[in-house]
Amino acid sequence: MKNRKQFVVLNSLVLMLAAGSVLAGCSKSPAEPASSAAATQGAAATDAATNKVEPFNVSVYIGDAGFQQPAPDNKIYKLMKDKLGVTFQFDFLAGDSNQKAGVMIAGGDYPDIMTANTKFTDAGAYIPLEDLIEKNAPNLKKHYEAVWNQMKDPKDGHIYILPNYGVYTGELHATYYSGPAFWIQKAVLKEAGYPKIKTLDEYFALIKNYKEKHPEIDGKPTIGFDILNYDWRNWGLLNPPQHLMGHPNDGGVVVENNVASIFADKDPAKQYYKKLNEINNQGLLDKESFVQNFDQYMAKISSGSVLGMFDQHWSFQAAEDALTTQDKNDRTYVGLPLMFNASDKDYYRDLPPLNLNNGFGISVNAKDPVRILKMLDALMSEEWQKTLTWGIQGEDYQVNDKGMFSRTEQQRKNATDATWKLSNTAEAFYKFAPKWEGSFPDGNATAPNDQPDEYYAGQKAIDKELLDAYGYKTYIDFFSKPPANPVYYPAWSITLEDGSPAKIANTKLNELGTKYLPKAILSTPDQFDNVWNEYTGQIKKVDVKAYEDRINEQIQWRIKNWSTK
Amino acid sequence: MAETLTTKRANETLATDRAKRRWSWALIRNQWQLIMMSVPLLIYIVVFAYVPVWGWLTAFQDYRPAKKFADQTWVGFKHFKFLFSDDHFLQVLRNTVGMSLINLVLGFVTSIVLALLLNEVKNMLFKRTVQTISYLPHFLSWVIAAGIVATSLSINDGIVNIVLMKLHIIDEPIVWLSEGKYFWGIVGASNVWKEIGWNTIIYLAAMASVDPSLYEAAEMDGANRYRKMLHITLPGIKPTFVILLIISIGHILDAGFEVQYLLGNGLVVDWSETIDIFVLKYGIAQGNYSLATAGGMFKTIVSVTLLLFANWVSKRLGEERLL
Repeated sequence: MKNRKQFVVLNSLVLMLAAGSVLAGCSKSPAEPASSAAATQGAAATDAATNKVEPFNVSVYIGDAGFQQPAPDNKIYKLMKDKLGVTFQFDFLAGDSNQKAGVMIAGGDYPDIMTANTKFTDAGAYIPLEDLIEKNAPNLKKHYEAVWNQMKDPKDGHIYILPNYGVYTGELHATYYSGPAFWIQKAVLKEAGYPKIKTLDEYFALIKNYKEKHPEIDGKPTIGFDILNYDWRNWGLLNPPQHLMGHPNDGGVVVENNVASIFADKDPAKQYYKKLNEINNQGLLDKESFVQNFDQYMAKISSGSVLGMFDQHWSFQAAEDALTTQDKNDRTYVGLPLMFNASDKDYYRDLPPLNLNNGFGISVNAKDPVRILKMLDALMSEEWQKTLTWGIQGEDYQVNDKGMFSRTEQQRKNATDATWKLSNTAEAFYKFAPKWEGSFPDGNATAPNDQPDEYYAGQKAIDKELLDAYGYKTYIDFFSKPPANPVYYPAWSITLEDGSPAKIANTKLNELGTKYLPKAILSTPDQFDNVWNEYTGQIKKVDVKAYEDRINEQIQWRIKNWSTK
Repeated sequence: MAETLTTKRANETLATDRAKRRWSWALIRNQWQLIMMSVPLLIYIVVFAYVPVWGWLTAFQDYRPAKKFADQTWVGFKHFKFLFSDDHFLQVLRNTVGMSLINLVLGFVTSIVLALLLNEVKNMLFKRTVQTISYLPHFLSWVIAAGIVATSLSINDGIVNIVLMKLHIIDEPIVWLSEGKYFWGIVGASNVWKEIGWNTIIYLAAMASVDPSLYEAAEMDGANRYRKMLHITLPGIKPTFVILLIISIGHILDAGFEVQYLLGNGLVVDWSETIDIFVLKYGIAQGNYSLATAGGMFKTIVSVTLLLFANWVSKRLGEERLL
């Protein structure tokens, strides 16, 4: 009996504790959003009345994992706060972008502005912007005038996203190549006496020679060729064949005479992967290529022990910055447009098209979209654009008596220092914001690195030596001049609707590639054909037609709707 | 210790009371304080466990987030058909059950053995040290734990390859994560490493509650340490073991998500993909919430069925029961 009583007492205690915590949990959470909502409303109201710079918060979701929170005393964000009243609260992606988007949609949990994601568009998470822009944002309207039709969502004709790249003003100075290429360390070219490399065979022979002579770099085993195949960054594995065939980057398809078809199971692809199989058996391929994640890949490149890889420059730029910070300039990379046949013309470099699925959209949860839009509009002024790209005059750049901007050695060094950038640039915001590209009315380039004098002055000794040896002025000269873009270009920006057969087919194609291509590459040479046949056999089971049809339908749609500008 | 004894007693009292007592106003009046105190918990359970079941309806629709409930299209069993007709799904089911069983068996055996060993250790400092070290990994998130596992298994200075090379068990480093046949083992071992210490706690508690007079009696009869373990300690923790086993069987389709997702890659996908990952890939990542719900529903129904079955078997064998 006594035991029983103890039991009851004990149980009631437990219950009381539990009840207490539940109640506490309940009372707290609903109160919070209510009070903050009231606060922002109040702020908006006073703003309208007094016409002074009232502070307001904008929550931002950046669907890209390569960023860190800016320092709290960041000078550019502070300037924006002082002049425009805006304070940003960033939420950076950690993990898989589609997964995060799915969770956000399921909860209807959107911040004020979000970078583009077709999932958000499909879920109706963005508000239409065209009328708001017409009424409130003259700078943005002027900026996007020429591409207004292209910005419209193909499904309902609304504009949801403000594209961040692809709208040009003034003269376009390209000095930096950000696209796909077979990359090679400058040291490798130097040691071989700066040969002209045009084909895959020459490229891998070069790597092989260097690796044999230098089995270790700075104490780490030399990695001949690396491939990243992680999450959505799978182009290192899947994309090379189309470039080797002489096509620009159209994603999963090659387009000939306005007709798209997949290339994954075609002969050129087989030829490329067979070559990879061969170099793997020579020990040139990183053994961990297909099990590594993005961080591990970037760490390897940053250590300077990777001789070459296929990638897009912007994707591994951070690792190259790390090499520069360590003063390992000879370990940074040169992009080469390799071809199957040396005589064919390469089409790696393209004219950057309007970046349709990128940039900011305003979410349905934003309390004061007009204010946000006005803030973005204000940032499109020449003065703000200069602040966002060049920085603060006197601190980050100088102006000479002809009005041309330049930077000192230290200022240039700062601009590649990741830690410095966190407190002195608004990089995370600016990258996705609408921006000027080309040059300002006073002749200065919109980005320091595109300023020709600035570019030459910024070159390291090894770069000058290398460029002189090839007789080039910039690294972009390694690539052929691109022809004018076809109207529909690029096909990779065509959206596949969620849940449609085309999307499922695309997912399956990606999955098969991720699964069978590593298998084929890592197999023994005599097994390669078997694995390849298994792979193409599996592709035949996928509804490839649904995928190709959707792309072709959209190519035709674009030709029809975008041609008349 | 308190836990097993009280549950046991509670079960006994409930069993005997059930026959005699009926619900009556007198009983309710008598215990109103208790009832009041359980109301918040009841509300909690209703709100977070029963209300969301409403969402199961989406499994029978082509659910689109932006539309109202009335505007959704009803599609019957379409998503279940997609699930069960995909040959991939069988493979995924195999992986889930396989890894789950490995986790179940390895988890129980290793933690009971460790608990038995620790129970025999008389040096308290040593015992506490071992306990603390062994349960520390439990507090790491899988993201970090998987990072540690991946680094340990790496061919660049990974400790596993270094140790095996030094012991001359292997001649050159193995890329462990690239072979499907190792994957289940890696997951099993990672789980043991992460959870062993935590799992022993409950057994150690159960062992501490065994009546010391039983040991004394056994000693009088000339039983040595192993005999005592076998005939007193192990039967002493049996009720705890059975209850935990029944609960675990209900979770057999939860082979885990994080560890497979974080360690898996294209080369081992045939062995690494579990139901949860499949549902994520073809459900949530595709914006196909209905399929995700169908997958979740399938899991719940199997779990409840297995739980009831295990409970029933246990009852027939005259062992502890959960319900």
